[in-house]
Amino acid sequence: MYVAELKERHMAATATVNGLRERLKQRRQALLDTDVAGYAKSHGKTAISFGSTDLVCCRTLQGHTGKVYSLDWTPERNRIVSASQDGRLIVWNALTSQKTHAIKLYCAWVMTCAFAPNSQSVACGGLDSACSIFNLNSQVDRDGNIPVSRILTGHKGYVSSCQYVPDQETRLLTSSGDRTCVLWDVTTGQRISVFGGEFPSGHTADVLSVSINSSNSNMFVSGSCDATARLWDTRIASRAVRTYHGHVGDVNAVKFFPDGQRFGTGSDDGTCRLFDMRTGHQLQVYGQQHDNNDNDVPIVTSIAFSISGRLLFAGYSNGDCYVWDTLVAEVVLNLGTLQNSHEGRISCLGLSSDGSALCTGSWDKNLKIWGFGGHRKVIHSLR
Amino acid sequence: MERRAKKMLPAVSPPPAVDSADYSFAIEYHGPPVPYEIPEAIPIEIERIPVAAVAAPSALPDPLSLPVVQPLPSPGPLKKPSKSGRLAADPAGASPTSVIENHAAMDRLDSVEVSGEVGSSGVLESAGFPDRSAELSEGIGSSGAVGFSSELKEGEGFEGFSEGIHSSGVLGFSGEVKEGEGFEGSSEGTGSSGVVGFSSEFKEGEGLEGSPNDMVHGRISTESALSSEFDFRSSASGDDEAFDTQAKKAVLVTFQDSAQSSGSASPAIGLTPRGRMEESGMRVPKGACYRCLKGNRFTEKEACLACDAKYCNGCVLRAMGSMPEGRKCVSCIGSSIMETKREKLGKSSRMLKRLLSSSEVQLVMKAEKDCEANQLRPEDICVNGKKLTQEEMVLLQSCPCPPSKLKPGYYWYDKVSGFWGQQGHKPDKIISPHLNVGGSIMRNASNGNTGILINGREITKVELQMLKWAGVQCAGNPHFWVNADGTYQEEGQKNIKGQIWGKPTMKLLCSVLSLPIPSKPANPSGEELDNMVNRAVPDYLEQKTLQRILLVGYHGSGTSTIFKQAKFLYRSIPFSEDELQDIKLMVQSNIYNYLGILLEGRERFEEESLAEKRKNQQLRSSGTRNKELDEHDDTTEYSIGPRLKAFSDWLLKVMASGNLEAIFPAATREYAPLVEELWNDAAIQATYRRRRELPLLPSVASYFLERVVDISRVEYEPTDKDILYADGITSSNGLACTDFFSSQLAADGSGNDDADQQDTLLIRYQLIRLHAKGLGENCKWLDMFDDVRLVIFCVALSDYDEYYEDANGVAINKMLESKRFFESVVGHPSFYQMDFLLILNKFDLLEQKIDMTPLTVCEWFDDFDPVVSRHHYSNSRSINNCATMAQHAFHYIAVKFKKLFCSLTGRKLYVTLANGLDSDSVDVALRYAREIIKWEDERLVFSSSESFYSTEPSSYSP
Repeated sequence: MYVAELKERHMAATATVNGLRERLKQRRQALLDTDVAGYAKSHGKTAISFGSTDLVCCRTLQGHTGKVYSLDWTPERNRIVSASQDGRLIVWNALTSQKTHAIKLYCAWVMTCAFAPNSQSVACGGLDSACSIFNLNSQVDRDGNIPVSRILTGHKGYVSSCQYVPDQETRLLTSSGDRTCVLWDVTTGQRISVFGGEFPSGHTADVLSVSINSSNSNMFVSGSCDATARLWDTRIASRAVRTYHGHVGDVNAVKFFPDGQRFGTGSDDGTCRLFDMRTGHQLQVYGQQHDNNDNDVPIVTSIAFSISGRLLFAGYSNGDCYVWDTLVAEVVLNLGTLQNSHEGRISCLGLSSDGSALCTGSWDKNLKIWGFGGHRKVIHSLR
Repeated sequence: MERRAKKMLPAVSPPPAVDSADYSFAIEYHGPPVPYEIPEAIPIEIERIPVAAVAAPSALPDPLSLPVVQPLPSPGPLKKPSKSGRLAADPAGASPTSVIENHAAMDRLDSVEVSGEVGSSGVLESAGFPDRSAELSEGIGSSGAVGFSSELKEGEGFEGFSEGIHSSGVLGFSGEVKEGEGFEGSSEGTGSSGVVGFSSEFKEGEGLEGSPNDMVHGRISTESALSSEFDFRSSASGDDEAFDTQAKKAVLVTFQDSAQSSGSASPAIGLTPRGRMEESGMRVPKGACYRCLKGNRFTEKEACLACDAKYCNGCVLRAMGSMPEGRKCVSCIGSSIMETKREKLGKSSRMLKRLLSSSEVQLVMKAEKDCEANQLRPEDICVNGKKLTQEEMVLLQSCPCPPSKLKPGYYWYDKVSGFWGQQGHKPDKIISPHLNVGGSIMRNASNGNTGILINGREITKVELQMLKWAGVQCAGNPHFWVNADGTYQEEGQKNIKGQIWGKPTMKLLCSVLSLPIPSKPANPSGEELDNMVNRAVPDYLEQKTLQRILLVGYHGSGTSTIFKQAKFLYRSIPFSEDELQDIKLMVQSNIYNYLGILLEGRERFEEESLAEKRKNQQLRSSGTRNKELDEHDDTTEYSIGPRLKAFSDWLLKVMASGNLEAIFPAATREYAPLVEELWNDAAIQATYRRRRELPLLPSVASYFLERVVDISRVEYEPTDKDILYADGITSSNGLACTDFFSSQLAADGSGNDDADQQDTLLIRYQLIRLHAKGLGENCKWLDMFDDVRLVIFCVALSDYDEYYEDANGVAINKMLESKRFFESVVGHPSFYQMDFLLILNKFDLLEQKIDMTPLTVCEWFDDFDPVVSRHHYSNSRSINNCATMAQHAFHYIAVKFKKLFCSLTGRKLYVTLANGLDSDSVDVALRYAREIIKWEDERLVFSSSESFYSTEPSSYSP
């Protein structure tokens, strides 16, 4: 009787929420009279043209013996940390393509890794539901392994991604399969705040990725298996600031646009989308029409923006890596068809902080660094 | 919306002028001056690019016209004819990387001198940019990633080379080389572009010495120019005319280094191992770097371990890439090293130390020592006339006293005493005895002629001398039996006659005769075989010998119990301190959870009974309402005091907010007495008696609740049984894995002969248990487990009549949910051709409930119709001959799953039965898992028919 009544009210409330959501969607649809590509094209914008040698593989980082799952650059741009299924983190010198550190992990099933802003430590997380921090300067033990300097425990599901807060060395943000994101204090190992979970307006499925706004590090966006992305304010943990609908599959990757007013997403539905942070509108869909309507659409595994934001790099499960022109929504280059490209799924990619190089990690066990080789405006001006 | 888009546009890019827009994706900067340095590329002046001289036609040897390879029609994606055309129109747009294009463009303009021109990344490097970004992009020129190389086979002489040239020329002309294909004797690894680029100058030294003059100028690697040229050619392959001119020019080009592709190329590109070239007559200026052709024999160089190509300071990093296997050219990765270089393994040179930081050098050296390709191949070592296997090799190298500096060759080994030597020579080392490697020792192993035998080997004269000095009676050519500790006895006699190493002077004497003496164990691991668990297995072997078994199942299927049983069964210390602490916390928080469920139930019961009471009261005292009585009767047997009520409210609130774990471990200290009081309260006891009405309370709860007073104490230590009964393994739902060795699996098992054990001694099993939730939605992370050998899927037999409520409040049968999960795991693409073992768990619970609830309540099992009738069944139990109802049900469910599996994959499913709480049944199930892996191994070896073994589940029924 009591429970039954509650259930009834819950059902009614759910129905109301769904109805409102539908109306919101329709209203948005009505307001969305154009998208970025349509507008740009109407203003005579054309796609950037790329030659096959404009973006070229200039380093191949070999050394992992398992599929590479994640990578991250240091802020000072010459080092990369990568995580692989072989149970190792490797820190690379991107210039010499040598390994500087190889860290054996206690739990081999690692999904994510991140460099601290001071480049002195790396964090990683995976199926062990914990985030491990390694200090690169700490003394190696007898077997030559770097000991764990701290383990952040508290998640009730796998740790799917982690990122340091750019201007705070001690703050780390993780997302997890327990539907929450957590902001940690690395020095104490304590949770500062938990986003989602039992609170209303949190994600209703596993959270797969996070991205912190580079211009305002209090804001971050998360992508989840519930096909939504949510915007959070670290000062207000109780609820999501905004929810972004649009995708029809798991949101595997989110990344803030360089100006911090928009963000991109990559999803299992094979598309990338660009959302406006403040209005919640979906600005653009980056996806190709697949004529064969089977469910073999390659999924987007990872995305990154160029420094200007004009280019969107997206890695796909079939080994392609498209370079999208964000303005006109056209693929201007496919790294997968270049010489020297990866032989497996592109699982992760990242741009160095100065934007001069792109690093891709793949299931073919290698990482590759791609340098821009095209004409640059600066050259003309110098001449 | 329009406005929104407008707002976004300027931030992205201003409307650029049409002509420049094509190439720029960065906006021009108009802001205030920036304090930091902006990465920039310095343009190159074409005129100043050093070029290689065009070879004088007279320098070419007459009979051997230089072979020219026509470019092959290249794969489509590289075509960019329009672009190059545009470039041709504007060759001045020089960026470091556009040199290629310019170069190419000039080619197209048919200026002859261009053919030898060098434009390359080397230019960039020589420009010596301070800026790092430049360095990063420095490979660009070369990166066009030209796949081409012509390689001459090692060990072939001049003839071989000329033949190679000939054939490659033919190939070039006929143009039938497919990508990546190596053709006989001449070229291999033609690269993915399908372009066979090659023009090798194989002239005498003087012809060459003339030309490098220009090339050397400014540290330029000439070959990259060529490669870029070839790159261009491949990219412009649509243009036939271009081909012809290119081909003509190629005759003239005299890059002696042409066969080598540029530096930062990936292993996909077959770089030419220079050493082989040298052997076959190709001449790099003596002592020069193989890449830049500079320097003399005194310049410091690093050599490739596999092909002995030598690179100078500036080239070594580019030629060797990231050195995943140590100092090897990129093209040599994966090939085995030269035996003469084995001693250098892991010993860094000064040059590397200078080029790289110490940690980088350390890692390179570690990789060099540990990687698989650099190890001795077991088939190269022959002990007592038998080639070693991989296992024997490991055994030999990891024993306490391994033979040092092992090289490929023939050896003899005396297993009893541990003497070790080269075939036909005296012993040179005493290694660990009793290693089961190689064949049995032969009499003439050390080629002795003294007539005296030690452990069946005729000893040499030197040894005889030693024995004499040791005071051993050697008259009459006795046959000795020498043990590892040096004690000896005559063959056929029991008593020990003496100790060879008894006298302290013996060791000195032995060194005089250069005979080995027993050494202290190099690996201080003590007992060699008992310590298998702790022994560090080399990394490259770890991958091979580790057999991973994934244990998954739907929530509540008992995977954690099976995992814990495995730990108890096969580990000497099942749980570490930390794990115990974790389990303790888990048990304690679980008990609060159970208490919470009880308290919730109590509230419900109280309400019910109150309502009942009021009803009765109203019936009884209808009309004569007594207020006092009413008040008094507000308590029922489920009522509790205000203090406990407060605690109960608090606990329920905490549970509702989902923060139960957050209050631990502080809660145990604070509330232990309260919990005791609560448990002893009559109301709770009354509720506990009605626990059957509380569906949320798991069946194990009563086990813990009855000991709640003990458990809630701070000093509580979980017993083995507690651990087993506890729900879950870790509080974080994370993945758990445990290792054990096959020897442990086989230790108490019967039917395993010694040879078998020896064989699989190194195999390590790793049982990985994963929470169903841990796989993510739609088993998203299952692709992380594509390297497991076997998947054990767990299903609780008792699930057939159990339900859970999903988010929408719909009751779903757990068995059907298990089935759904099974389907998604089996059908996952990364488990294609994977073997599955289905463990049907909780057979005891099935036995208990099958009589009360028929199996057919689960819709999947609605056609369950056992042959035995009810009547017959009651009889059969007493006879104990026929299968019981539960067994029938088990077989039925097993067949159901097998049919399902077969329909999904077309293969056989292995099924076994277990009862998680019974360690024997888990042991049997895991043994079965191991058997399956062994069968699969054997099937791979013999590729025998599938009917080789039986998969009947009945053989594993209890």
